[in-house]
Amino acid sequence: MTTRAVETWTLEPLVKFVKEAGARLVLVMTSAGQVLAQHGFSRAVDVMSAAALGAAIMASTDEMARQLRQPAFAALNHQGERHGIFLAGLATGRGRLVALVVYDLDVSSLGLVQLFFEQLAADLQAASPKDSVPKQVLAADFERQLSDSLNTLFGR
Amino acid sequence: MPDEIKTLSSQLAQDPDSLVFLRLGELLRHKGQLDTAHRVALTGLERHPHLPDAHDLYARILADRHDYERAFDEWDMALRIAPDHVGALKGLAFLYFKVGDVQQAAAHLEAAQRVAPDDPGVAQALALARGEGGAEPIAPAAQPMEEARVFAGLEGAQEGLLLLDASGRVLGGALKDPAGRDVTDAVAAYLAGVSQEAARTVKLLGLGKWTGLAAEGNLGHVHLAPPSSDALLLVVRDRAVPMGRLAIIAQRAALAARRWLEAHA
Amino acid sequence: MTAPAAAYGKALDLITRVRGVRGAMLVSAEDGIVVAEQLMEGIKGPALSALAASLATRLRRAMEAAGVGASVFWHLQAEQGALLVVPTPGGTLVVAVAEPDVNVGLVRLELLRAAEVVG
Repeated sequence: MTTRAVETWTLEPLVKFVKEAGARLVLVMTSAGQVLAQHGFSRAVDVMSAAALGAAIMASTDEMARQLRQPAFAALNHQGERHGIFLAGLATGRGRLVALVVYDLDVSSLGLVQLFFEQLAADLQAASPKDSVPKQVLAADFERQLSDSLNTLFGR
Repeated sequence: MPDEIKTLSSQLAQDPDSLVFLRLGELLRHKGQLDTAHRVALTGLERHPHLPDAHDLYARILADRHDYERAFDEWDMALRIAPDHVGALKGLAFLYFKVGDVQQAAAHLEAAQRVAPDDPGVAQALALARGEGGAEPIAPAAQPMEEARVFAGLEGAQEGLLLLDASGRVLGGALKDPAGRDVTDAVAAYLAGVSQEAARTVKLLGLGKWTGLAAEGNLGHVHLAPPSSDALLLVVRDRAVPMGRLAIIAQRAALAARRWLEAHA
Repeated sequence: MTAPAAAYGKALDLITRVRGVRGAMLVSAEDGIVVAEQLMEGIKGPALSALAASLATRLRRAMEAAGVGASVFWHLQAEQGALLVVPTPGGTLVVAVAEPDVNVGLVRLELLRAAEVVG
């Protein structure tokens, strides 16, 4: 399984996280669902789906927290029979990012993912470009940027 | 004899704590019924773990089964409980003879003779060791007993000892489960993961390097140790062996394994 | 029937009273999350729970493969400390972290007692 990054500063922290946490699939993306790096995905359509769904879940829970007049939830975990899904936000110089992690319950655990996610967050924060303003994505550019990103994420 | 076995078996069934298991085990051993003798001795040992005669009986049965490493441990334990135990002294002398360590064999026989000066067997064995009476003295050991035992274990142990490299590949020894199935490869594969996780755990918790992992199971005990930075040694024993003793066995085995690894580097 | 949470504190208390024990916790074996803890300063609870649970899982598999049955107690020895663990039938780990020269027999006893309380 390979790890690939659109923004190269995310690569090393992600590789380290995957190894320590034993994660099966990982996406690092913006709150809007723009993927910066991925590990373990073999198809572009899966990346797009996972990113869209992950971003939507985070947006929903952020809104729920806002309505409850609470700070945003730190992390979400969904546990299935064989896999778990972990979603959490993290702050970087690039702005707020979201990590979506799928882990195999035979190989890893929520505890391990949470433990090493903290390190991932710290590493991404340290590695991120400072004072960078997130670019506004225009509709005209969107499809081209998405296509470029997917090509990078799948090594084409 | 069959009548005596029957009688003793019946007595033991009525009173499981009775010491008749010693006589019963010995009779069964003489008859060659080693599996049954083994069961009787082990059960008796679990009930009387501090009885040197129980360890002596078990050791003799193990020796008959050619499980010399465990026999050594049992006679060693008998001596720790009763330093003048003649059976244990003779037993250890026999094992030292087997590996050619004549000096140690003679030393144990001399100690046995001091306790039991009229034992003809001891006198005869001692004469053999000293090369008296026309017998050729046995050549001194090529390597110390500790190493010989572990080395013998690594070069084809039937069970109980496994030496691995850091990737989980077997360097020596073998392992069988209680049903007699060879589980060497499966256990080796799992142990590599255990070792890596143990190392990571102590590192992240700031506990220094790990030096051992002892585990007590329902059916047996295990002790895992790293004799070197890129090797793992697993020692497995049934529940009759207390954890503290297993730790001592594992320590000695690790030392010997380290020398073995250095010699084979 | 599992004990109420208040009983967990008492059970952990008895473990931490043993000289040389630097902390004790109850960990969910399945996901490595802390259930209850009493730790001295400087011990990272989430790290301890996650790693102890992961090691327990790997060790369980190795012991099952070796035919020695389910783990009753295990003791990880290190140069500067030790980890002592008793798994409970209910899927919890009772964990103690201690100095390297702690009285293992005593800690083991208290862990087993705590395991009975926790269930």
